[in-house]
Amino acid sequence: MKLELYATPGEVMRAVKALQQLGQDNQVPEGPLFGLALALEECASNIVNYALQRDVRRTFFVTLKHSESSIVIELRDNGPEFDPTQAPLNEKEESDDRPPGGWGIKLVRRFTDEIRYTRQGNENVLCLIKRLAA
Amino acid sequence: MKLQIQVQENIGSKQPGVITVRLAGSLDTATSPELERELSTVLAGPVKGLVFDMAQLKFISSAGLRVISMVRKKLVEKGGMTSVINMQPQIREVFNIIKALPGLDIFKNVEEFDDYITARQRMHQEKG
Repeated sequence: MKLELYATPGEVMRAVKALQQLGQDNQVPEGPLFGLALALEECASNIVNYALQRDVRRTFFVTLKHSESSIVIELRDNGPEFDPTQAPLNEKEESDDRPPGGWGIKLVRRFTDEIRYTRQGNENVLCLIKRLAA
Repeated sequence: MKLQIQVQENIGSKQPGVITVRLAGSLDTATSPELERELSTVLAGPVKGLVFDMAQLKFISSAGLRVISMVRKKLVEKGGMTSVINMQPQIREVFNIIKALPGLDIFKNVEEFDDYITARQRMHQEKG
């Protein structure tokens, strides 16, 4: 399933809803599906907010693939080159005088088994892979 | 999934000045601005504490956590506290992963929250 989405939060949730439906249709367990939906929300939100600067005229793509062994989510955008796998993890706890940051990538790393990034031409291509129990 | 927000004063909790915010549905990048707007109104009033009741919350992302973090900081400035009760296991896991909300009190339910506040008040009275 391939979705073309406008750079808005509502469209991010349209992709999340599509993933949740795909998961339910294929009896993916609730736990892994919740985590993967969250990972998709975080990554797609970053594309909307940073790569595409919330320009509602711009679009990005999300492709969802399900097999018996895995679910693979591909996010593709034509924003500035950015590799989220290289983003530093903010391991220290938030303090009252420091704004929260890096929560999104922390959640993505926790809820996926593999994250792959490549730059293809003028596109960022991010793959999130969640292996499903046999 | 939409977000339903129900704001009530002193409901459930016996503590005066405590506002309970019941969330249902999804607190995400699309719905978190709505919660932020609602809570701005609440924080403008004489609130001593906020209790987020998450019994019906099915999804939360970092966007939602940021709103809760912002609210907690504003309430600290007013000398108040922020608590969370009735988290579903998956929501609790998200909070645990982030570990970035020190000072946010998490309780199993409103009774546990009330017992904690009562004990804290008793302790302050004994000291003073």
